[in-house]
Amino acid sequence: MSTEKVSMNIISVDELCKSYRVSVKKPGIAATLSNFLNRQLHVVEAVKRVSFNIDQGEIVGFIGPNGAGKTTTLKMLCGLVHPTSGEVSVSGHRPKERNRDFLQEITLVMGQKQQLIWDLPPLDSFFVNAAVYGLTKCEAKNRIDELAAMLDLDKELTRPVRKLSLGQRMKAELLAALLHRPSVLFLDEPTLGLDVNAQSRVRKFLRQYNKRYGATILLTSHYMGDITSLCSRVLLINEGSLFYDGPLEELTGKLSPYRSVRIELKEPHQKSSFMQYGILEEFDERLVRMLIPRDELTAAITSILNSFPVKDLEICDPPIEELIGNLFQSGIVP
Amino acid sequence: MYRTIHYYLNTLYWFWYTGFSSELEYRLNVYVEIFAVIGNLTGSLFVLSMFYSNGSTLGGWTFNNSLTVLSIYTFLEGLTTCFLHPNLSRIVRHVQHGTLDYILLKPIQSQLWLSLRIFSPWGIPSILVGIALLIYSLSRSASLISYMSIFLGIIMLLSSIVILYSLWFILATTSIWFVKVWNATEVLRSLLVAGRYPISAYPSMLRAVFTFLLPIAFLTSVPSEVFIGQSSSFYVFLSILFGCIFLLISIFFWRYALRFYTSASS
Amino acid sequence: MTKKIFRIYRVASSLLTAQYALMIEYRAEIALWAISGLLPLIMLALWSKSDVIGSVGLTSQEITHYFVSAFIVRQFTAVWVMVSFEEDNIEGKLSPFLLQPLPPFWRYASSHVAEQLTRIPFVFFMISILFLFVPNSFFIPKLKDFILAGIAIFLAFCVRFLIHWIFAMLCFWNERAAAIERLLLIPYLFLSGLVAPLEVFSDGVRSISMLTPYPYLLSFPSKVMSGAEVNIIGGFAALLAWGFCLFVVSIFAWRQGVKRYSAMGA
Repeated sequence: MSTEKVSMNIISVDELCKSYRVSVKKPGIAATLSNFLNRQLHVVEAVKRVSFNIDQGEIVGFIGPNGAGKTTTLKMLCGLVHPTSGEVSVSGHRPKERNRDFLQEITLVMGQKQQLIWDLPPLDSFFVNAAVYGLTKCEAKNRIDELAAMLDLDKELTRPVRKLSLGQRMKAELLAALLHRPSVLFLDEPTLGLDVNAQSRVRKFLRQYNKRYGATILLTSHYMGDITSLCSRVLLINEGSLFYDGPLEELTGKLSPYRSVRIELKEPHQKSSFMQYGILEEFDERLVRMLIPRDELTAAITSILNSFPVKDLEICDPPIEELIGNLFQSGIVP
Repeated sequence: MYRTIHYYLNTLYWFWYTGFSSELEYRLNVYVEIFAVIGNLTGSLFVLSMFYSNGSTLGGWTFNNSLTVLSIYTFLEGLTTCFLHPNLSRIVRHVQHGTLDYILLKPIQSQLWLSLRIFSPWGIPSILVGIALLIYSLSRSASLISYMSIFLGIIMLLSSIVILYSLWFILATTSIWFVKVWNATEVLRSLLVAGRYPISAYPSMLRAVFTFLLPIAFLTSVPSEVFIGQSSSFYVFLSILFGCIFLLISIFFWRYALRFYTSASS
Repeated sequence: MTKKIFRIYRVASSLLTAQYALMIEYRAEIALWAISGLLPLIMLALWSKSDVIGSVGLTSQEITHYFVSAFIVRQFTAVWVMVSFEEDNIEGKLSPFLLQPLPPFWRYASSHVAEQLTRIPFVFFMISILFLFVPNSFFIPKLKDFILAGIAIFLAFCVRFLIHWIFAMLCFWNERAAAIERLLLIPYLFLSGLVAPLEVFSDGVRSISMLTPYPYLLSFPSKVMSGAEVNIIGGFAALLAWGFCLFVVSIFAWRQGVKRYSAMGA
């Protein structure tokens, strides 16, 4: 019975911990010397007892503030960082061992680090990857054609990487990372720095890839758009601990009852007069930024427009960091 | 077995095929390299001839046998330019930019990838000149060269390649801890210059250092002696032993460094 | 006039201070570069065992002092302007430099001088190690020789810097021009007296080499420092003459280069 359950979960993580020893060092030669003689170490717990399971074919968003432990967890899932304690299993392998079969199954894409060689056309790097992953030339060609069609890449493949735009480069990176048709994708900020158009192209591609090959995707992103358009489920991590694991609707239900409203006033006003509408985030006499519950938004805006001399008004979704920050502040911990 | 060999050959083919053509775009390099090889060779011969002026010798070696040493040095220098320098300087960059992660996730030995990924054609002139000079000096050798000594000499040459590679790789591995270590390879290079001349030409203290501490003797002098048929089987054995030991050290040291990398990096 | 001198002093001192602070940051690399200048000591080991030295009338003490001095001279005449100029050109740092009221020449010159200042303690350290392990290499130059050698080293540095600067201008025509540095090093290596004292050269080669600036870049200052017999006035005159000629050429080369640069619209 239990084996059945394991085979369902392509990724399972149990009580995963990672702690680093960091030596405390002040700048300067004297400090370096004294540190050398009398090393002061303190332990940083980057990941604390994180447990979750992911089924085959799921797209899961992995979110949390900077330094929360997302990247460390991802790296433990691909075996690049060894856990201090706890168990990880990815498609039946222990990532730590990084054996061949495991590596053929997975891929890692990091938005801020590239694997393509700067001075060469992407095609050259693709063929190297194909050889390393044991694909025949024919297979490699077919896959490159197929993926290039999905990604709208064509003549960019024969231009040196340094001459490509950021968006084209990211698409080429994805192609290089997916050539061996991995069934588990770890994506760390895959849309970092891309413009809105390129972002949506990447998202569309990932959805397509997930559908066509039934691949499992775990991705981190700072763009809420990536999460909302791709993931039905999110993992929320803060200070190394898992705070939320569940469907996106429930999380947005907790977070986005609020919308962020930015009001510019013609004359300065009292802070207290805005308190009734929602949570004030920024107040500067003429500039008000606040979170207003979605249900009350229309009423609140009408009331504000009637009672204050409003010069400009803007309503948007608060950025993901703020949503999370707010979640922790308001104390709604699942 | 056949599949494994095919896999590695195919991988190597793609490793070296890519990049080769783009390197050739820098046409100036071709001329510079050819002139540099000719210039360095002329200079080295000039220095050698000075050591042999007035009937003097270099460490008891004939001029012709010193040429054998010089030829092997030139050959190894070519290999350094082709493989060691371009590949191992990249390790430092991989660590700096965090792209080592991608290599560790490839289903291939990371040491193999890092050591052989790039083939830079600029060392070819040195390699060719080295081989030509080796054949020339051996053909003019006073003693008869037997097939056995050529066979053993080639084995010694392989062993010296392994030792040279291991020294470079061990040094490059330390970049996992000290990112700026690349400049240390300049120190290694400057010390290896000592291999241009027969080891017996050095004072005894240095000879000991160059044999057991930094095995320069096994890079050029021992293979030359074996080619000429003047070496004892003890040195042949020692050379192979050193080759194995250094290679093993480089492998284990790399694994140790990776263990550190995977447990300390974030 | 005094105002102008004061301005030059202020610019020079602030430039040097800034470059010195930068070089202090690079002290680990500089230490390694300093160690990689070991060639004169390797050559010393070879020549001290050779009979050729005696046959040209040099004592083993003279040869030791010569190569120890050559080691020091080489440390303080190191030039790498071609590499950094090429790098700045490729990375596009040159344009902002050209907009400043200070010719870029001085920026590179000051960084070299600052690096040499940073080297001083390392060279002291290495020399002490040498004296400790090889006691008979110990010597202290006479104060007069030391001062004269200091001036000669500075002039030699200037001449070498100008040669490299002139060739660095080729970067305006070819992005990868720094490869030529490899060729510039060859005559320096073999004709300057770095690998053998000039006395050992055959007469023909010596008279050819004396027509080039190279012997004045290394052999001359080393001889002055080691207290050997040398034509001091002739040496300084040659350094100044070469320096003047190269300075004129460098101004011409710079103007042509900048003309080309602005024409390319880079």
